[in-house]
Amino acid sequence: MTATAGPDRLTDLEPLRVAIVGNPNTGKTTLFNALTGLRQRVGNFAGVTVERVEGRYKMADGRRVAVLDLPGSYSLSAGSPDEHVALEVLLGRDEAHWRPQVVLLVVDASHLERNLFLASQVCELGVPVVIALNQIDAATDRGIQIDVPALIHEIGVPIVPTIASRGEGVDAVKQAILIAASLPAPKRRFTLPADTVAALAPLQTLIEGDGFSPSAAAMEALRLLSVTRGEAHLARVNALAEHLESTRDALRALGIAPQQVEAEARYAWIVGVLDHTVIRRAQQLSTRSDHLDAVALHRVGGPVLFLVVMALVFQAVFSWATPFQDVISAFIARAGGMIGGWLPAGDLRSLVVDGIFAGVGSVLVFLPQIAFLFGLIGVLEQSGYMARAAFLMDRVMRRVGLHGKSFIPMLSGYACAVPGIMATRTIEDPKDRLATIMVVPLMSCSARLPVYTLLIGGFVPAIPLLPGLDLQGATMLAMYLLGTVTALIVAALFRSTLLRGPVRPMILELPPYRWPSVRSLGVSVWQRCQIFLRRAGTVILSLSIVLWALATFPHASPDATLPEAERQEAQLAYSALGRFGHAIEPIVRPLGYDWKIGVSIVASFAAREVFVSTMGTIYGVGADDDAALQDRLRVERDASGALVYTPLIAVGLMVFYVYALMCVSTIAVTVREAGGGRIGWRWAAIQFGYMLALAYGAAWLVIVVGRALGFAG
Amino acid sequence: MTVPNPRELAVCTCPLVDSEMGRQATVVAIACGDHDACRLRAMGVYEGATVSVIGKRHCLLVDVRGTRLALGAALAEGITVRPQERAAH
Repeated sequence: MTATAGPDRLTDLEPLRVAIVGNPNTGKTTLFNALTGLRQRVGNFAGVTVERVEGRYKMADGRRVAVLDLPGSYSLSAGSPDEHVALEVLLGRDEAHWRPQVVLLVVDASHLERNLFLASQVCELGVPVVIALNQIDAATDRGIQIDVPALIHEIGVPIVPTIASRGEGVDAVKQAILIAASLPAPKRRFTLPADTVAALAPLQTLIEGDGFSPSAAAMEALRLLSVTRGEAHLARVNALAEHLESTRDALRALGIAPQQVEAEARYAWIVGVLDHTVIRRAQQLSTRSDHLDAVALHRVGGPVLFLVVMALVFQAVFSWATPFQDVISAFIARAGGMIGGWLPAGDLRSLVVDGIFAGVGSVLVFLPQIAFLFGLIGVLEQSGYMARAAFLMDRVMRRVGLHGKSFIPMLSGYACAVPGIMATRTIEDPKDRLATIMVVPLMSCSARLPVYTLLIGGFVPAIPLLPGLDLQGATMLAMYLLGTVTALIVAALFRSTLLRGPVRPMILELPPYRWPSVRSLGVSVWQRCQIFLRRAGTVILSLSIVLWALATFPHASPDATLPEAERQEAQLAYSALGRFGHAIEPIVRPLGYDWKIGVSIVASFAAREVFVSTMGTIYGVGADDDAALQDRLRVERDASGALVYTPLIAVGLMVFYVYALMCVSTIAVTVREAGGGRIGWRWAAIQFGYMLALAYGAAWLVIVVGRALGFAG
Repeated sequence: MTVPNPRELAVCTCPLVDSEMGRQATVVAIACGDHDACRLRAMGVYEGATVSVIGKRHCLLVDVRGTRLALGAALAEGITVRPQERAAH
């Protein structure tokens, strides 16, 4: 390192750009969280919805470092959209042109052979590399001893042993990154046979012509031999496909199988490196992980354990979160009341109290549930159980034409369809992925919960059925099951019509079980909460204001003789929202709804949570006072004096909410994830359309069958 | 040390699905779709790798140098292995 730049100058410099890359399950994100702590920003890579997490830290001398956490990849030969993003960033070819100055490669010390495959590719990118030899403790426990200086000698880059989950080695990694920044980039450490080199030369020159360094072009040429899909970052290379095919032909003429060249060369080098650097005690035949798997993957015990785990997750999300939710809603109600007290009566106070506080508040109460759900999903993922769950579910999923990996997005869908749809990016096959995206919003998300809670609490009696389960609980469970079963059926329909195709065979790593790192979990949960809060502060806030305005204007001339409640109702009927409700009443009439329910449904098309607050606004009851609203609904009568809300109507309404896609954010995410542009919009329209048709049809069926059976409605 | 049994060595190759449980085998050919083959190689299942089947369910559970992989039956059908002589150490 040069000593010319003093500390003062260092702080003024642009931050050093570092990209973290590694195989899945190497503790890559744990190390990233340990390096940067809470100083992280979540966004998307330009043009794709792959999540982009960038963090920062500062060295003791003031030098700033920006770290980008790239998606986990087994190799640079991209299979999924996720992995392709990693490749583009590493080559400096992503849309934002964020080119790393140092690559931090996280390697799992227990699985060096496989991890060094990616390492050997990354070392040819023409960028300085630092290797974090992570989970070194687990390797030692398994009797694997690694001669680190010898490994440094073999690979030619700084290597730091780490235990990211305990924060060990993190400071040494920071030092190594600074040093590496001024080191030359590593080079390929093996040589290909001369005839192979000659056959590859034209392809390599072609790629170099597109602005790649000789080293990166050599890596790309070798890698492309086994890649059959076109890759976007090479789209500008002229006649690449033809050159690639003639290179393959040249190799075949030499009696070489082109798709095996890269793996053979790299693994031959790796085996040699491991011979010099790793001392392995007689291999243990079964590890602690295997003993756990004997239970977790047992033919009978496995599914039973799976159901118990899922039941626990639900229990946690829906009951353990309640006390926290109560605190939040009490706080919002108090804050709204206080601020309302300071403002003069009139439109401004109404806007703040009924519009902003009631609207945003009714959504903020879900924060604890989101935190619990993502915390638990994090525990399942970090501990290694999630892969086992995907393995077990593969059997069920395969029957409906989905992949075992589709299970994770669907599980996330119980919290919110947005992260659920984003989680589909780990599914490689585009048809599998699309089918999963299409059905994720059928999983009852946490935004439907307040609708269910309101209607069940108001209209379903708490008749005990089983110990610990009453009719209310059973109805709630039935709604979740209805959505889940329908999702599986719809997926099967998509896979046999619009998205027909073979189901990709499963290739899944079952990582060793591990204790999750509390610190890393905390950082991830905080990240999720931030995203949710940002949404509450933007989409929901603006919708709340728009809705409030629609329900308030134009002003009806107040008739002072009427009691307060009727005056409010007259105002609503006169408002833009009320007029619209009357206009669409013929559409919702067959479902047994009056115009007020119609208005609430229409208002909640942007976000379901709005249903409850709109009902609150319509009936002039505070949105966070369920009991008062339920009492009000139970006595509501129409013009002929018949009750508007009966248990049958309530059930029909819930079924409508199980199926209807009422969420602007979900639509936006579907558009982007399904391919963006016109293709994305087409899939989003199909999704919205089929769900609406299903919702209307099913709600109508409930009313018709219910009436035929003699229920009032 | 066991003496290699010539009859066992004569058993040349078989698909991974039919490989004996717990016995180490060398991958000799991967005839899955190019894309899946590329992926398998990146995950350590390459021509020449040592693997052993440790469980058979709807998928195959395979040990690859200490990594546990679940491979769909269709894939395991396309991977040809040569059983190694039983290791005595």
